[in-house]
Order: sequence, then structure tokens, then C-alpha cells
Amino acid sequence: MKIWLLSCCLLVCTIAPLAQDTDSNSTHAGYVPALSVGLGYVENVNGGTSTLEPTIQPVLLLPLGSHILGEARGDFVGAFERRNGNGDYTGQVFSDLDYAQLDWLADTHAIVVGGKFITPFGLYDERLVPIWIATFQDTPLTYGIGTQTSGFGVGGEVRGVVTQTDDFSVQYAAYFSAHSNVSQFPAARTTGFDTSIYFPARHLEVGTSYQRFLDDPRNVNNEAIYTSWQPPQIPLDIKAEYDHSYYGQGYWIQAGYMLSQIPIATSFFKNVQVAGRMQQSFPDNGGGNGVPGVQTERPGIALNYYLRDNLRLISSYERNFTAHKDTNLWNVGFTYRFLWPLWPGGK
Amino acid sequence: MDNRKSPLLTGLLIMAIAAGGWIGGAELIVHAQTDIRSTPPAPAVRNTGQKSGEEVFQQNCSRCHKPPMTISPRITGTVVMHMRVRAKLSRQDQEALLRYLAP
Repeated sequence: MKIWLLSCCLLVCTIAPLAQDTDSNSTHAGYVPALSVGLGYVENVNGGTSTLEPTIQPVLLLPLGSHILGEARGDFVGAFERRNGNGDYTGQVFSDLDYAQLDWLADTHAIVVGGKFITPFGLYDERLVPIWIATFQDTPLTYGIGTQTSGFGVGGEVRGVVTQTDDFSVQYAAYFSAHSNVSQFPAARTTGFDTSIYFPARHLEVGTSYQRFLDDPRNVNNEAIYTSWQPPQIPLDIKAEYDHSYYGQGYWIQAGYMLSQIPIATSFFKNVQVAGRMQQSFPDNGGGNGVPGVQTERPGIALNYYLRDNLRLISSYERNFTAHKDTNLWNVGFTYRFLWPLWPGGK
Repeated sequence: MDNRKSPLLTGLLIMAIAAGGWIGGAELIVHAQTDIRSTPPAPAVRNTGQKSGEEVFQQNCSRCHKPPMTISPRITGTVVMHMRVRAKLSRQDQEALLRYLAP
């Protein structure tokens, strides 16, 4: 741990002077290293078992000029449960290096990424995992489709914009990941792509992902289609995704609404978000490999309150229906995110 | 109802949401009348330069999260680089964002 911290400090000190040498002279934007940290403290109750989950997710951004960016995210999650059901809380903290990648922003059409990267599959893994972003803290039932074995790849990725006009933008990502058992760099041998079209005036995106899983137990294809829509004049956020794999299929659909249009107590209601989510998953060929082994339905609601744009109270309730047992899932807590420069100066 | 049909219905529902977004947003768009015959071939990235950094900010940042109210100018370039990678923004959008966030 100390070696990691020392290495990061040395890297920041080495890179910072270089980072300020940029070619963007038309703005006052600075390119000094930055630290973004997502914090959270959530009590999770799953089927009557209560777990306290403090979480820290730091993201380190180290630019080298204005075209090369090194970035890494760590994940420190605690899981504390009562001993024997009613004793003291006991547990442990799990630490992981989520991703560590070097980005070369070559041009609009190609951003070349190397290292350990987030698997670009569907909506959730790349965009909605950070604790300060997620509307529901529990990942979708089909999250395991396209993200096995770790949710990350080790290898290379190319991503960018295929074409863009004022009316629409077509984006893509294509990658190859090698099999890795190296500590903090576990990954499966996979290849795949993601592509989407975004209509900026309508705030509407439709996309699809494909992955060929090349590792054991067998080569399988994973597919997803998804959409994301934020109507321009309504504080509504709708997201939906359908995933399919050899081991099963399923979907989730989620809608979040900020109550800013309520005409009374505006200063209070404008910070309140009400959300609903419906999920179903269906196992094929026995399920497993990230897909629940039995058919599962899970409707849920969430109520979040933004004390500030980066600090919110969160709560959610979901009911898990299966042929074996029905259970309740509760989450209550808060999330916070801050963003710091790691070096003085700038332009 | 046969539950096995639900994923197929979901696919249709996703398409319906997308179609709803397409139709629902249509009235918000002013369609410019252009003469197709006089329109030159379109380059791969064709921004008219009319799109402001504020538009890019409103249209892209809220796709995933509540945008921060302030970002230190010292790290604006760094953060926008990160978001260009994550959100697959074009270089033109990156420059518009920089002009808006750190003029």
C-alpha cells in the first residue's frame, strides 16, 4: 500500500511539469494532475441480512500534455455484518485496482487505450458503476453478461467518433483483452465492440454491444442493445438495456425523475429524485457465469435527495422474486464526490 | 403470459423508448430548409461551429450524471480529456467544452 502511494506521488511530481505544457492556447484550461474521489456509506439489507458497506473509489488523472492521459481507479469496499446475527459488526475491506490505462487522444476518430480498461459492454459497466453516479446501488441482474470475468479487460482498445454532424453522432469502441491471472489485473480473453448513435437535440442514444468470450468454459457470444433518453425539457432520465448470452438473457429498465417541476416548496423538491427500475433475467443452459441460475424478477424504487450537486442521501427498495424464495433488498446511505487538483499552477 | 417472451417484449420496449425520444424531441428542433442539390459532400465531422460549449455540456454531461457546479480551471483540461475518453466526444466538442468551462 505504501509503495503504491509513494509510486503515485513520484509519478505526479514527475509528470506535473510536463502536463502543463499544452497546445491549447485559446482557453485558460489547465492540465495538471487531478484526483476525483467517490465516497459512500451504505447499509445494505438483503433478505434480512444487514451489511454496512463503506466505499472509497479514487480516480487518478495524469495528463501528459493535451493528448495523452494516464488514468486509474481504485475501489476500496468494506463489508461488515453483525457477528451471529446480533453481535458486534465484523468484516473486512476489499481493495481492487479497477482500471489503469493510458489514453492517446490521436484525433476525433481514434482514441487509443492500452492497459487495464473497463469492458465497453452495454450502458452499465462504463457509465453507471461509480457510487456517486448510480441511481440504484445494486447492479442489474444481467450485469454479468458481457463483463465476465472481472468487468475489465487487459489489452488494447480503440474508441472514438465515426462521424458527427449537428444532428447526430456515431460512436464506437473496439477492443481485445488477453487472459490474465496477474494480481490486480484479472481478465478474460475476449474481443468485442460497442457502437451507438446519439441525437444531441433529442438527448437520445441507441446502441448495441457484441462480445466474443474466448476463454473457458466455452467460447460464447454476448450481445446487448440499449437506449438512454433525457427529454430536453423534462428532468427525466430513462435508460434500458437488454442482454443476451449462452447462459441466459434479461433486461433492466430504469426511469429517474427530479421533482423540480412541482410548483410548491421548489427549493426542496428540485433536489429530490424518484426512480423506478424493473428487471427480469432468464437462465439458459443452466445459467451461471454471471446470470442467476433461476428465473428472477426484481421491481424496485429509489428515493434520492441531493444536498449539493456532489452530495446526496440515497435509499432504494427492491423485491426479488424467484421460484425458490422471495426477498427484499434495501439500501440506505449517502454518496459524496470531490475533485482536487494535485499540483499548483496551470495556465 | 409466457414469461419467456418478456425479453423480446423488452427489445420492442427499448425500440419504443427510442422512437418516443425521436418523436418527442422532434418539435424541439428547428429544421433548416436546405437545397440538397447545392449541399457539398459532408466531411466525417461536420459541426457548423454554431454549437456552443454550453450546448455540448448540457447535451452530454447529463447523459450519465449530475454535472459538477464548478471545476477548478487548473484541472479543466484534464477533466475534459477524461470525459472525452469516457463519453467518446469529438475533438470539436472537447474544444467547445474548454471554451465554455475555462474561457
